[in-house]
Amino acid sequence: MSRNFNRLLIYSVIVMLFLHSPIQGQSIKKRVDSLFVIASTGTVQYRDMEQPAKDSIAAIGLPAVPLLIEKLDTHSARERLTVIRILDSIGVVAVPLLVEALDHPNGLVVQRICWALGDIGDSSAIDGLMNVSSHNRWQVRSQAVRALGRIKNDRAADIVIEAMRDSIGQVRKSAAVASGQIMIHESIANLVHLLGDDFYGARMTAMEALTKLDSSMVLEVLADSINSSDAFVVSQACRLMGEIGGDVAIDILRQLVDSQADRRSRLSAATALLKADPQDLCGFRGQVMAQFDDRLDQIRLRSTFVTPDVK
Amino acid sequence: MPFCIFIEGQNNVIQSRFLVDPYTLSIVIDAMYKVLKQLTFLSYYVLLIWLVVSTTVSADQSQLRSASIIERTPEQFGLEHLMETLNLKPSDIGYRTDYTEPDSFRLQLISDLMTTPLGMIDYASQLRQSVVRGQPEVMSAYLFKDLAGAGKSKRGKAYSPNEQELTRPVNLFYSDPILNRLLSRVSLYLDIIIPKSTELAFADISTSQRQFLTTKFVHLLELRVEDEFLTPNQLDSVEKLDEEYAETFAEFGYRINSDPIVDAGLDCLKKLMLDVNALRSQIDSRQVSAKHLVNNTVTLPPGVDRSSYLGVQNGWAVGGPGNDYYRGDYWFILDLGGDDHYDLTYDSHNPHPVIIIDLSGNDLYQTKTDFAIASGCMTVSMLLDFEGDDSYRGQRFSLGSGYFGFGLLYDKSGNDHYDGDTHVQGAGTYGLGLLIDESGRDIYNAAAYAQGFGYVRGFGMIIEGDGADSYYAGGKYKDFLRYDQHYLSMSQGFGFGSRPILSGGIGIILDRKGNDNYYSDIFAQGASYWWSLGMIYDSDGNDNYQSFQYAQGAATHMTLGALIDDFGDDVYTGKGLMQGVGHDYSCGLILDRHGNDLYTAYDLSQGAGSANGAGLLIDNEGDDRYYVKIKKNTHGYGNPRRDFGSIGLFIDLGGFDQYTGFGQNNYYWQTDSKWGGGMDIERMDPDSAKTGGR
Repeated sequence: MSRNFNRLLIYSVIVMLFLHSPIQGQSIKKRVDSLFVIASTGTVQYRDMEQPAKDSIAAIGLPAVPLLIEKLDTHSARERLTVIRILDSIGVVAVPLLVEALDHPNGLVVQRICWALGDIGDSSAIDGLMNVSSHNRWQVRSQAVRALGRIKNDRAADIVIEAMRDSIGQVRKSAAVASGQIMIHESIANLVHLLGDDFYGARMTAMEALTKLDSSMVLEVLADSINSSDAFVVSQACRLMGEIGGDVAIDILRQLVDSQADRRSRLSAATALLKADPQDLCGFRGQVMAQFDDRLDQIRLRSTFVTPDVK
Repeated sequence: MPFCIFIEGQNNVIQSRFLVDPYTLSIVIDAMYKVLKQLTFLSYYVLLIWLVVSTTVSADQSQLRSASIIERTPEQFGLEHLMETLNLKPSDIGYRTDYTEPDSFRLQLISDLMTTPLGMIDYASQLRQSVVRGQPEVMSAYLFKDLAGAGKSKRGKAYSPNEQELTRPVNLFYSDPILNRLLSRVSLYLDIIIPKSTELAFADISTSQRQFLTTKFVHLLELRVEDEFLTPNQLDSVEKLDEEYAETFAEFGYRINSDPIVDAGLDCLKKLMLDVNALRSQIDSRQVSAKHLVNNTVTLPPGVDRSSYLGVQNGWAVGGPGNDYYRGDYWFILDLGGDDHYDLTYDSHNPHPVIIIDLSGNDLYQTKTDFAIASGCMTVSMLLDFEGDDSYRGQRFSLGSGYFGFGLLYDKSGNDHYDGDTHVQGAGTYGLGLLIDESGRDIYNAAAYAQGFGYVRGFGMIIEGDGADSYYAGGKYKDFLRYDQHYLSMSQGFGFGSRPILSGGIGIILDRKGNDNYYSDIFAQGASYWWSLGMIYDSDGNDNYQSFQYAQGAATHMTLGALIDDFGDDVYTGKGLMQGVGHDYSCGLILDRHGNDLYTAYDLSQGAGSANGAGLLIDNEGDDRYYVKIKKNTHGYGNPRRDFGSIGLFIDLGGFDQYTGFGQNNYYWQTDSKWGGGMDIERMDPDSAKTGGR
């Protein structure tokens, strides 16, 4: 903490010296503004000039950071993206000033600073990001959790797990992604719960996050989840077990196919089974197919092993 | 023993009559009471059983009824079925209303449809069913209801004239009572109701803010050919100026309520159609000739000021059956026949209502000024042409343009030609712009922001009836942001808003019949940008859709686009971001219900979701051909943004189809993307004769 504070102090002094030296400050502002117009022009005829202009601003380094933060309240998506990319190019040097700006009164600016901090991915931003992870604006919470995930430091684990219970789907999605990035094994049960989330972003990213975690631990929780009353949890769990593979997963799936469970669950298990063994090396394709007499179910199952005729 | 019976009286009224005297009745009741008292317990049980049985039976019947009513359409079946295989559900296609700060200009319809974008399909069907031939007032009123602002249940009403205004004396010039009734009506609306409704609409803004609308805000809808030659600094200045205009407008624009103007126009139209139809009947039945109508006038003494007489006031004209020439800034023209030439002007800084009625003849309407010819600029402007092969040549804001007002161009019959620049041919901004052409082989030509275009709080629409029509939009204003040699169209069912502070409007083409051709370049054919809705609904005919990019059911940046085609063997051609593509929390949909169709695209098309958007291609039946150049981002593709995916769905529900790309007949596929897939199945069991179908 004190080291961060010292760094921040030093950077601030440098920036103050630059900007408050009237001639130097004016000239840098003028230069950044002028380059920024070209960097964010967006038109096809000036596209070749964009990257050099971005690089030139990034080369200015720290003194350009406050000027770029000022531009973060822009209405233009193109300008916003340009600022974030330049900040990313400036890199770790920009972090102290960005963290300092996290208490900006404009929530829109704060969410964009979180975005930039996530792209830079430096661990010195963790405390600042954790502080805004309960911001009243969901976009800030979402970006803060995203950034924490990208920094990949397990100090943020509790915040991330808490965010999985957020009332906003986008925040839960960010938490699911972050959980996989940080590899929070304590979150497996929460992630499995998210497999049935109402927001598809959370549902699907939770599944991806689970593939990054310890598969034996994941299987243990998944084995219970196939009895869930939530059809999405069951079908996602089946798919995941099929991807994980191995005797345990295959046994669970086969049992589900043979069970009295509803058609959708059994079909999900069957699909996962056939995908897990596209060559039918285990020889259970025929048995599985025989369990389904619906015309479309048959086509669906056959599609798992028929090679697409992509022309 | 019955003690009363029910009989059917006059007018089907059910009446009851006593058949027993009151004394006998009292004995019967007393006896019944005693029996019931003894059977109390038993009767309770019987009653209970009856209630349970009847409730169960009625519940079953209710479910059966619901099932038959809520029978799924093929597209609903397809969507639910494919999404289930991909671990998705139809409600996953829906967007929050607060990704960015909601502004005061959002339309309720768009807000609702953003939450449930698949509702676009039902909305299109309802629109189609609302079209009534020969009654433009019905459709106009239907569209007006969709101009309701989000969260604003109360709508503004037209000015209601007082008794003195209704009974004001007029000097009659013409002798025919039907003609005079029409002229009196027009006079009431042009002189009192519409101007006073306009005052109501702008009552909460200042004079300078009102001027801002026609001097500054209007620039947001003007494109300049020379902009492509500007330097980066000049372009930045132009962009900043546009932003400034949009921000200034956002500060006060929400206080404008164009409802009273549009309502006044609709009311006027409704009544005017009765008068015009009466006049036409009179002429058609030869009760009176058109020539007699205009010549049968009062004789004025020399030196009398004619302008105080109805029908011959300044800015008014009534033309006979010959070929007439009208030149200037008119308030009202009634022309009873002949091949007429209208050379019209309009001063947008001094807005006034305009009504032009032409009963027959091959007419030419042209103007060299903006805001002329069926252009309601802060007022109402209507042009009703009932017969003939007509030619309409507008500039900007013309031919069914509603700019803070109501503009209607109604052409009942004939092969017509429409030509204009921007904000033309069914274009609405903060109002309603409508072009209704009921029949004939018509040609539409415009540069941009046209042919069913809606900007902020606006609804622009073309309603086309019969005939093989051609629509062309583009070729003038270069899309220099993206290309050296492509032009902006932003037309043909296009909704547009100013990101991120002004939500957009609704732009629709509804074409009922005929083999139609749609040509455009960038942004068109059921497309939109920023909290808007763009749509083409073509019911019938073998149609040809050609565009380059962002078209044919394309939506970019929190918005909605749909192209729906019911019948015919259709051809869809273009480069990319089309044929069912949604980009950035948007939903783009292409739905073709029948026919053997051909789809051709290069990339990111045919059921592609991008940046958390959803793109859907649904083809219900027919032997179709699907061709793409890039296989990795087409045919059910979704790409990731914000650390999660989009939704891309490709659905073919019947026929023997041909592909380049992922698809093949009788196959389900999931693409290597986040997240998307497709299916090509026979929805109806090919052996349905045995199985009874699916």
